Amino acid sequence: MNFAKNRTVSTVPAAKTGLPVWMMGLVADRLRADANRLLAFLFNQGILDEQFLQLQQLRDESSPNFVSEVVNIHFHESEKLLRNLRSLLMDREFSGYNKMGIHLNQFMGSSSSIGAKRIRNACFAFRAASEQNSRAGCLRALELLEHDYCFLKNKLHELFQIQQQRVLAAGARYPMQN
Amino acid sequence: MIAMQRVMQSNVSASAATTNCYGGLSSCKGEEVMISDQFPAGLRVLVVDDDITCLRILEQMLCRCLYIVTTCSQAKVALGLLRERKGCFDVILSDVYMPDMDGYKLLEHVGLEMDLPVIMMSADGRTSAVMKGIRHGACDYLIKPVREEELKNIWQHVVRKKFNGNKELEHSGSLDDADMHKQGNDDAEYASSVNDATNASLKPLKKRSNTKEDDDGEIDNDDPSTSKKPRVVWSVELHQQFVSAVNLLGIDKAVPKRILELMNVPGLTRENVASHLQKFRLYLKRISGVTQQGGISNPLCGPGESNVKIGLLGRFNIQALAASGQIPPQSLAALHAELLGQPTGNLATAMDQPALLQASLQEPKCIQLDHGVTFVQPLVKCEYSSFKHFPQSCAPVEDVTSGFRAWPFNNICRAGPGNNGGLSSQNGNILIDLLQQNQQLQKPQQQSTVPDLRPSINVQPSCHVAPSQSSASFQVGNSPVSVTQNGSFSRTSVIDYSLLSSQSNCSSLSIGQDSDANLQTTGDLSGYIPPASVSPYVSSCPVNVENCASQQVQASSMTFKTSRNLPGFVHSTSNNQDPYGSTKTGDLLDQAPFNNLGYINKGTCLPARFPVGEFQSPLSSSSLGKVFSENIGTRMKQEPNMEFGDSAKVGIPMLLQFPQNDLTTVFTE
Repeated sequence: MNFAKNRTVSTVPAAKTGLPVWMMGLVADRLRADANRLLAFLFNQGILDEQFLQLQQLRDESSPNFVSEVVNIHFHESEKLLRNLRSLLMDREFSGYNKMGIHLNQFMGSSSSIGAKRIRNACFAFRAASEQNSRAGCLRALELLEHDYCFLKNKLHELFQIQQQRVLAAGARYPMQN
Repeated sequence: MIAMQRVMQSNVSASAATTNCYGGLSSCKGEEVMISDQFPAGLRVLVVDDDITCLRILEQMLCRCLYIVTTCSQAKVALGLLRERKGCFDVILSDVYMPDMDGYKLLEHVGLEMDLPVIMMSADGRTSAVMKGIRHGACDYLIKPVREEELKNIWQHVVRKKFNGNKELEHSGSLDDADMHKQGNDDAEYASSVNDATNASLKPLKKRSNTKEDDDGEIDNDDPSTSKKPRVVWSVELHQQFVSAVNLLGIDKAVPKRILELMNVPGLTRENVASHLQKFRLYLKRISGVTQQGGISNPLCGPGESNVKIGLLGRFNIQALAASGQIPPQSLAALHAELLGQPTGNLATAMDQPALLQASLQEPKCIQLDHGVTFVQPLVKCEYSSFKHFPQSCAPVEDVTSGFRAWPFNNICRAGPGNNGGLSSQNGNILIDLLQQNQQLQKPQQQSTVPDLRPSINVQPSCHVAPSQSSASFQVGNSPVSVTQNGSFSRTSVIDYSLLSSQSNCSSLSIGQDSDANLQTTGDLSGYIPPASVSPYVSSCPVNVENCASQQVQASSMTFKTSRNLPGFVHSTSNNQDPYGSTKTGDLLDQAPFNNLGYINKGTCLPARFPVGEFQSPLSSSSLGKVFSENIGTRMKQEPNMEFGDSAKVGIPMLLQFPQNDLTTVFTE
C-alpha cells in the first residue's frame, strides 16, 4: 500500500474526480482507513489469517495485482469445487465419500493458501462428517462452507474495491506522479 | 538472474497450467554458471499441483527465493517434462492428491528414473498422511498453506542427496566412476552438463573426503560429461542392462555382485547396483500390490492363468485375449514370467508362441524369441522407461501399464539362448499384437531382417483390447503407423497405447496426428528397422496370441505413425469405436506412454513407450511430433518439436497407429 502516503494536500491541479484537491487527501485517507478496518475485522473474526498477509507481501513490481489475481483464481476454482461437492452430496445415488474427499482436499488446500482460516476450519468439519459417513452432517457442513465462502468473497471484493479507489484517488490526486 | 526469473514468470501463466519449458530450459543452461556463486539461488524447481491457486502462490514464493520455477498442473505432463529435460531440475514439489496421477506414483517414478528429491505437499496434515509420504520416499512433506520460509529451505534436500550420493561413490573406484558417468551420460542429454553445474555449486558445500575423485573429475575437464559426478546416473540403457541381469538371475536370486558381473559395466560399483536393486525391488513390490488390488491374481501364477497377465497387459486385454482364446495360456504364463523376472528357463518353455516381432539380432542383447522375436537392446531401454511410465491415468490403462512395466525387466534378459522365447516385453509387445491383427505372421523364427518381419506383425486387436474386439477391429486410429527408420518414417511412430488400454475396446493408438491410414509396409519397415530389431517391441506383446504361432511379429511390418500429438494428447479422434479410442487415450497415453511409445531407434524396436527423454530414435524427423500436444488440451506449454531426430535422444513417444483396415495389408509381404 504505497499510495497516498503523503497526506499533505497537494497544490497540483484539480483532481479529475472533480473534487477539490484538498479533499482528495481526505478521500484517500478515508479509503485507507476503510481498508484497514475491513482487514482488521476479517482478522479479528478469524476469517482470514496471517497467510493472507504473506500474500500481500508477495506483491511486487512485476505482479502488482498479485493478491487480487490469486484470490480471483481461488474464487473461480472454489466455485467449481463447491458445486461439485454439492452435486455429489445431493446425488440420489450417493457414490461415496471418496470423490468428495478429493474435492474437499483441494478446496482446503486452496483456501488455506490464501489464508481463509474460517473456511479451512469448516472444511475440517466437513471432513470429520464424511469420515463418520454422516450424509446429513456433510450437508450441514457444506452449507456452512458455502455461507462462509460467500461471506468471504463479498468482503474480499469490497476490499479490492477500496484498493482500486485508493489507486484512483492517488492517481487523481497526483496526476503527475505515478 | 532476476531478469531471467522474470522472464520465467512471464512465461508461466497462472491461469492454465503451463509448464515453462523454454524458460526452464534456457535457465538450465544459463544458470549453470551462476549457480555456484549464489547457491541456493538458481535452484531449479518443478512444481506440480492441480490447484492453480497454490501453483501461482508457490511460483511467486519460489521466485522470491530466487529459484527458477517451472509449474505444471498435471502430473503426467510433469513426468514427461522431467524425462524430456533430464537434469534440468534440481528438486520437485508435488501435491499428493492429483486427479490424473497420484503424487506418490510420480514420486516413485522420479525416484527410480531420475533420483531427484521430491517434496510432497498437501492440505492434509494428519500424521498418517505425512507418514505415508515419508514411507514412499519423499524428502519432505509440507503442509498447506506453505510458507515462504519453508520454501527457502528446500535446497537442503538437494544438497543432502548429493552428499549421500557422493558417499556412495566414494567407495567405488574414482576412475571407473568417471567412465561410468561418461557412459551413463551419453544418454542423458542434459544430465551431465546440468549435473556438472550443480555439482560445481555443491562442491563448496560437500565434504569431499575422497580427493581422488575430485582429481579425476578435474582431469577430465575437456569432457564435461565425464567429470566426476557424485552419483551414478541410471540411464535407460543402464537400467535395461540391470534388468536383464536381474532377469537372468531371477529376481529372487539377484545379488548385487552377480548383477554387477553380468552387467559388465566399467565403473559401476557393487554399491551402486545394490542401492538400485533395492529401489527396484520396492518398485516391483508396489506394482504387484497395485495389480493385486484389482483382484488380479498374482502375476507369478503359473501358466495358464490368463488373468495373471492382466497386470501386465492390462486386465482388460488379457482377459479379452484369454476369453477369446487367443492367447495361449503358455504365452500368458510366459509373459508373466517374463514380466516377473522369472528365470529364463521357465520362459523358454512357456514361450513358444507368441508371435513376437522378430527383430534382427543385431544387438548382442537381443533376445530372440522362438519365433523370432528379438529383443533388442534398445528396446530394453525403452522398456525401462516404459515401465516407469506407466503411471496410470486411466483405469484400464493402469493395468496395462503396470504390466508393461514389469516386462521390460524380464524380457530384456532373454539374451540367452536364442530361441528362448523371450518376449520383448516392452510395450511393443502389445503393440505388436495389435498390429497383428490377423496375425499370424507365422514365420517362425525368422530372425531375420526386417523384411521378413514385415508380414509378421499382426496386430490382433482381439488380443489386447477388448474381448469383443474382433481382430478386424483393430484399428488404430487413423494414422497408420509407419515405422521407418531414420528418414523413412513416414510418420512418426506413435504407439498408441490406447490400444493397450481397454478404453474402448481398443483405444486408439492414435496419437498421431496423421491420419492417414495407410500402413506402409515394407518399404517403411525396412527403413525402419534399425540394426537392432525394432520389432521386438512390437512383438513383445504377449498378447500375440495368435501370433504366437507365427511369431514373428515383424516389427517391420508395423508401420508406426508417430503422431504429433503424442502424449496423451492423442488427439484422437474418435474414441469410440475405434479400437484405439482416442479420447481417452488422451488420458491413457498420457502417462508416459508416450514416452515409451515409439522408441524407434536404432536397435530398438518400436517401443511402446519410451520416456521422452530417453528415446533415441533414428526416426526421422518426421517427428514424432510433439510429445505434448496441445491439442488435447493439456495445459502444458510444450516445446513444439519433439522430434525424433536421428540421433535424438529425445524420447518421443511413438504411437503406433494402426489403420483400421487391414493390418494385414501392412504385413503383407
